[in-house]
Amino acid sequence: MQAIDHHAWTNRWRDRHPLEKLLPAVTLLLLTLALPPLSIGPLVLAGTTLATVCGAQVPLRAFLSILAAPAAFLLAGAPFLAVSLDFTDGFSPHLSPDGLHLALDTTVRALAAVSCLAFLTLTTPLVDWAPPLRRLGVPATVVELILLIYRLIFVFAERALTGRQAQTARLGYSRMDRSVRSLGLLAGNLFQRALEQARRMETGLAARGYSGELRVLMPERPLSWPRLTVAMAGVALIGLAGGLLACDGP
Amino acid sequence: MTAPLLAVRGLDYRYPGGVAALRDLHLTVERGRKLAILGPNGSGKTTLLLHLNGTFRPTRGEVWLDGCPAGYDRRSLNDWRRRVGLVLQEPDDHLFAATVGQDVSFGPLNLGLSAAETGERVREALESLRIAHLADRATHMLSFGQKKRVAIAGVLAMRPEILVLDEPTAGLDPHGVTHLLGVLQQLHEAGATLVFSTHDVELAYAWADRVAVFHEGTVLCQGETTAVLGDREVLHRARLRPPLLLELVEALGLDHDQAASRSRETVLALLRERLGEPASAVPVEPALAHSRRGPPA
Repeated sequence: MQAIDHHAWTNRWRDRHPLEKLLPAVTLLLLTLALPPLSIGPLVLAGTTLATVCGAQVPLRAFLSILAAPAAFLLAGAPFLAVSLDFTDGFSPHLSPDGLHLALDTTVRALAAVSCLAFLTLTTPLVDWAPPLRRLGVPATVVELILLIYRLIFVFAERALTGRQAQTARLGYSRMDRSVRSLGLLAGNLFQRALEQARRMETGLAARGYSGELRVLMPERPLSWPRLTVAMAGVALIGLAGGLLACDGP
Repeated sequence: MTAPLLAVRGLDYRYPGGVAALRDLHLTVERGRKLAILGPNGSGKTTLLLHLNGTFRPTRGEVWLDGCPAGYDRRSLNDWRRRVGLVLQEPDDHLFAATVGQDVSFGPLNLGLSAAETGERVREALESLRIAHLADRATHMLSFGQKKRVAIAGVLAMRPEILVLDEPTAGLDPHGVTHLLGVLQQLHEAGATLVFSTHDVELAYAWADRVAVFHEGTVLCQGETTAVLGDREVLHRARLRPPLLLELVEALGLDHDQAASRSRETVLALLRERLGEPASAVPVEPALAHSRRGPPA
């Protein structure tokens, strides 16, 4: 998660208007779901990889490592789709052409869809989604909460990490039973600290005139129509190619 | 004589559990001064600072703002906190927004300023702390020293008349301390009144022009820095040691009322002169010093 966050804040497309990234990504996602996966899937994967690695200059490794987790699930699950069980004369599992096709379709479609989201998360920090969410009618309180949680995740992650290091230094994780005990203590301690942190943060905010609303100045990023047009043209090209391949195909 | 900007009169404070934290405390903050509240850890300094902006309400006694007792209704508190900016010791208690610029904009927006004015204030505050380049940076990616500066900028953006800082140098490296003191000095020269708590006698001596010695929940003694820190009796009672620089000045038989005696460079120059070295003596290279001290060949 820290790695994703790091790239989201430092990539070359960080300062672009979120819509310039959201609209192409969502369109690609819809194309992936609408067209036959074997024709559109590889094109979408290629498109998102190019955009993330060449466009936003996020290292390929980071992009692949996001895809790795869902890919592992897919690899574990796909064989079960490919194999069909036949109980007519005893128990005979066998590969069926239909099943094989289904497994391949599902895997490619899922990977392509995840790659669209990977592109978005790697190029846009969470904060940038606040203004679009507000415009979509999400209540201010909910958006404030999202941002506050985002901020505090890092405060507590740091505490948890140092707490764990301190416990490890005193052999808190040297045996299975001790590990369980240490982890429990750490969790309890973090909960207590979270309450304390909330109290102190309220004091800190009150010092700056907090009255129940966490208003901040949102950055204004100009939407570049030329860039959006180019991106959407690329998406259209992928869609067109995918559609043509689907017509030619079986 | 005009009324002091901020005054604490006969303040008692008990924690909700009934533990007495402050007792019969008197403190005066004069306009345009740098006041150090000097005392050991756990003596109640933070509790006192939390009274200075109305976070805590005294059990007995009053806090006076510009000649009037301060009120604790919402409107008075808002006005109070606009005038008295409090910076807590732990920057993570201040920073709640995801980016530096957003966080600093919080205070000005609460003052009811427009987006344009707020943007101006944010820029100004970040510039005065020399961190304008961090405006779009994620808060959680900053170093401790940077977070500290952002927390101060967040309070500064409200343009308070008094800036109250709890242990401002705690956790900073020497470079960070120098940087922070430089910034605070600049603010002071621009007319800000500064109050800061510290357990560092050397810092108080070198930097404050008034010192309040704090011990077991009350102010033992308040006055001009050299007078207060030259008073062995008071320091002994507060379990503090006199500043090294002051002891040097005394050992050299100099008049410690002179402001010059508080500069490290001046005192060192005087010491060299006394030792018979030329004032512009080239400092000995550490490597050379080592070989000189080494065992005879």
